[in-house]
Amino acid sequence: MINLYQFIPEIFILSLILITLCFGLFNKDRAISLNTLGFILLSILLLNYGKDFYSSTQLSLNTINLFVLSKIILSIGSIVFILLLKRPLKNENLYRYEYVLFILFAILGSFVLISSNNFLTAFIGLELQSLSLYLMAAFNTKNLSSNEAGIKYFSLGALSSGFLLFGISMIYYDTGSFNIQNLDNFTSISEIGISLVLISLFFKVSAAPFHIWTPDVYEGSPTISTLFFATLPKFASLIFLFRVYQELNISDIKSLNYIFQMVCAISLLVGVYGAITQRVIKRLLAFSSINHIGFILLGIMSYQFMSEGTLFLYLIIYLITTFGIFAVLLNLRTVDGEFTKISQLNGLRFTSNSKSISMLVFFFSLAGIPPFAGFFAKFFILSASINDGFIFLSIIAVLSSVIAAFYYLTIIKNMFFNKLEIELLDDNNKTGKVIFIASGLIITLFFIYPDPLINLVDNLFK
Amino acid sequence: MNFPILSLLILTPIIGALTLSLSSSTQLKNKTIFLSGLWITTGEFILSLLLPIFYDKSKNGYQFIEFHTWFDKFDINYYVGVDGVSIPLILLTTFLVPICLLCSINSIQNRAKEFVIYFLLLESFIIGVFVSIDLVIFYVFFEAVLIPMFLIIGIWGGENRLYATFKFFLYTLAGSVLMLLAIIYIISKVKSGNIELISDFTFDQQVELVLFLCFFASFAVKVPMFPFHTWLPDAHVQAPTSGSVILAGVLLKLGAYGFIRLSLPFFEHASIYFQPMIFALSCVAIVYTSIVAIRQLDMKKMIAYSSVAHMGFVTIGIFTLTQDGINGAYFQMISHGIVSAALFLIVGVVYERHHTRMISDYSGVTNVMPKYSFFFMVFMLSSVGLPGTSGFVGEFLVIMSTISVSVYLTFFTAIGVILGASYMLLLYKNINFGDLKSDIKQLADLTNIEIFYFSCLAFLTILLGIYPKLLFEMINKSISLSII
Repeated sequence: MINLYQFIPEIFILSLILITLCFGLFNKDRAISLNTLGFILLSILLLNYGKDFYSSTQLSLNTINLFVLSKIILSIGSIVFILLLKRPLKNENLYRYEYVLFILFAILGSFVLISSNNFLTAFIGLELQSLSLYLMAAFNTKNLSSNEAGIKYFSLGALSSGFLLFGISMIYYDTGSFNIQNLDNFTSISEIGISLVLISLFFKVSAAPFHIWTPDVYEGSPTISTLFFATLPKFASLIFLFRVYQELNISDIKSLNYIFQMVCAISLLVGVYGAITQRVIKRLLAFSSINHIGFILLGIMSYQFMSEGTLFLYLIIYLITTFGIFAVLLNLRTVDGEFTKISQLNGLRFTSNSKSISMLVFFFSLAGIPPFAGFFAKFFILSASINDGFIFLSIIAVLSSVIAAFYYLTIIKNMFFNKLEIELLDDNNKTGKVIFIASGLIITLFFIYPDPLINLVDNLFK
Repeated sequence: MNFPILSLLILTPIIGALTLSLSSSTQLKNKTIFLSGLWITTGEFILSLLLPIFYDKSKNGYQFIEFHTWFDKFDINYYVGVDGVSIPLILLTTFLVPICLLCSINSIQNRAKEFVIYFLLLESFIIGVFVSIDLVIFYVFFEAVLIPMFLIIGIWGGENRLYATFKFFLYTLAGSVLMLLAIIYIISKVKSGNIELISDFTFDQQVELVLFLCFFASFAVKVPMFPFHTWLPDAHVQAPTSGSVILAGVLLKLGAYGFIRLSLPFFEHASIYFQPMIFALSCVAIVYTSIVAIRQLDMKKMIAYSSVAHMGFVTIGIFTLTQDGINGAYFQMISHGIVSAALFLIVGVVYERHHTRMISDYSGVTNVMPKYSFFFMVFMLSSVGLPGTSGFVGEFLVIMSTISVSVYLTFFTAIGVILGASYMLLLYKNINFGDLKSDIKQLADLTNIEIFYFSCLAFLTILLGIYPKLLFEMINKSISLSII
C-alpha cells in the first residue's frame, strides 16, 4: 500500500491547479490572490510539518531535509513571483489567468523532480516543468522574438530530453533498475548513460558548453518569464543535479568527475567572456547566470566539506538577488515598451533613489564585493572547494569574478556616473517596489545579522 | 575598559550616513549637509582621541578587545582590538576625513549629500580595517573600502574619471582575490581566523612562499609597489581633491599596514626569502618614479609619483626586518599621510581658483598668494625630508637601517632622497617664483578655513619632526613583537 502522506505537497499543488482551472471559468481575476493564499498555506505547512511528511519513508534524514528546504524555498519563491507578475503582464496586454497555471504546473514539475528517487519520475517532473517553460517563453504571441525564443527553447529542450531518455535507458540496460539510490555495480555503459543524463541536466541549468539557448531565450521572452526561468525551475534542476551527484557518488567515478570539473571551469569562463560585450541587459544577466552556475557546480562538487549548507546559502542569496534585479527591471519601462538596453539605464540615479541604490547593492553583491551577502556566498563556496582540494578551479573562479566585476561596474557606471538621457517611465508598481527594497535590505543586512539565513540553512542539516 | 569604543568608532559614521540618507535631500542646503558631516566626523575624531589616552603602553598585545560570534559554524568571529600599530593610523584617518569635507564645501556643488555619505562610509570601513584582528573581517573591510572610493572618483572626478576609477577598482580587486584564496587556505589549516593564533602557526615552507605571494599581490597593489603602481597616477589625477587626500593619506597605508600586521608575523620564513625581491622592486620604485616625477607637467601627477617613491621607503624599511627599519617605515607612513595629503590640498587650492593643474600655467604665485606659498614651503620641505620636519625622521631611520643589510641599498635610497629634493624644489620654484603671469593676478589668497586646516597639518608635521618620541612611544612595543 502506498503511503500518500509523503505526496501531500504535490497533491496540494495539484488541487490548487484544479481549483484555479474551475475558478478561471467564472472569475479570472482572482487567480492571483487565490494562488498566493495557496502557496502561503503550503509554505506554512512545509515549515511546520515538512519533516513529518517523509517520516514513513526510508530516506535518510539529510535527504528529507534537502526535500523540505528546497520545497520551502520553491513555494516562498512562488509567492513572490505570483505577487510580481500581474502588473508587467498587464502592461504588455498579456494578462491571462492561464499564465498562473503554467507556473503551477512548472512548480509541480519541480516538486516532483526534487523528490524523485527514480529516473523515470524525474523525467516526468522535468518534462512537466519544461513544457510550461516553453509556453511561458512564447507567451507574447504577437512578438516575433518571443515566438522565436519559444521555438528555440522547445526544440533544443526536446533534444536534451532525448539525451536524458537515452541515458536513462542505457542505465536501465546495464543495471536493470531506474533507481537513483542504491545504484551500484555498474559498468562503463552506465557511466555513458549517466554522462548523458548529466548533459541533459547541464542543459536545463544552462551550464556551458550547453548554454547556447540561454541568451536568446532570456532576451526574447517577456521579462517576467525570464525571471521565472532564471530562478525557480533552475533551482529545482540544480537540486536534482546535486542529488544525482551525491547519490551516484560521482566524486568517486573518475571520468564523470572530470566532466563535472570541465563543465564547471568552462561555465565560469564562458559566462564572463560572453557577458563583457553585451549591450542588452537580459543577455548580460543570462551570461552572468552562467558564471554563477559555475560557482554553484563548484559548490556541488565540494559539498562534503561543509555539508549542503554552503550550496543552499549560495542558491538562496542568488535567488534573492535575481528577484531583486528583475523586480527593478520590471518596474522600469520606456515609451515603446519593455526596456532592454543597458545604456537606457543612464542617469537612473537622478530619477529614482530607491531603484538605483538597490541595483548598486545587487550588482556589487553579484560581483562578490563585501560587505554584501554575495561575498559571503562566494566565500563559503570557495572555503568548501579549497578544503576539498579544488585549488585550480578556485583560482579560475576568483579570477572570473574579477572579470565579472568589470561588467557589473559598467552597469553601475551607467546608473551613477552617466548623464540622464531618456527618462524611463516609472511603473510605480508597489509590490515590485516592496520586493526589491526587501531583497536589497536582506542582501545588505546579512553582513550585520546573518543568523536568520544561516539558521534556516543550518537547522535543516543537523 | 568594557566600553565598546571600537564598535562605536566603526558605527558612528555609518549611523551618521544613514540619518543623512533618510533626511529629504531637497530641503537641505549643501552647507547644512557638509556641516552635519563635519559634526559627525569631528565627533568621531574626538572619540578616537580616547584610544591613545586610555591605551596602556606597558602591556603587550591587543587592547579594547571586543568579541562576538558571527558565523558560528565557520569559526568566523567579529573580533576587534587595537595595539600601538593601529592607533596612529586610526587617528590619521579620523583627522583627515573632516579636512576632506572642509576642503570640498565649495568645490563639490552637485550631489553634496551623496558625497558626505560616501565619505562617512569610507571612514568607517577604513577604521574597520585597522581595528580588525580576525582575517575575514579584515578582508571584508579591506574590500569594502573600494565601493565608496569607486563612487567618489567616478562621480566627482575629472574628465577621464571612468578609466581611472575602473582601473583603480579592478587592479585592487585582482590583487585582493588572491589574498582571499590565501586567507581561506590559512583558515582551513589553522581552523581560526584569529591573527594571533595564525602568527603562532608554522606552515610548510613551500606553501608559505605561495601564501606570502598571494598576500603580496594584494598589498603591493595597494601600497603601490613598482610594477603595480600604474593605477595610482590615474586615480590621483582624476579624483577630486578630497579623494586624492584620502587616497594618498590613508588608503595607500592599508597595504603597508597589511605587510606589518599580517605578512611579517604570518610568514617569517618567506619574508626573509623574498627580501631581495622586495628591495629590488622598492629601489626601482624609488629611483624610477622619482625620475618620472621630475618630468611631469601635471602637479597632481608629480605628487602621485612622489607618493610611489615615498612608499618605496616604507616597503624597504618594513622588510629590513629590524626594529629601526620598521619604526622608520611606520614613521614615514604617518608622515607621508600628513604631508602628501597636505600637498594634494595645496594643489586643490590653486586648481579651485584657476582650474588648471599644469605647472606651466603658474608662475610667480608667491606675489599674489604669500600665505599659500608659506604653507606650500613647509610641506614641500617636509616632503624633501628637511630635519625638523616629520619627513626627515622616517627617511633617516630607514636609510640607517639599510646599512645593516646592504650598502648598495643605502646608496639607492640615498639617491632617492636627492631626486626627491630635486623634483619638489623644481615644482615649488616653477609655481611660486618667476614672473607673475597676467592671468593669475586675480587669484585670492587662502581663506580662513584653508588657513585653519593647513595650520593643523603644518603643526603636526613640525611637532612630529621635533618630538618624534610621541609616535615611537606608541609603536615601539607593538612593532618589536611583530619582528621575528
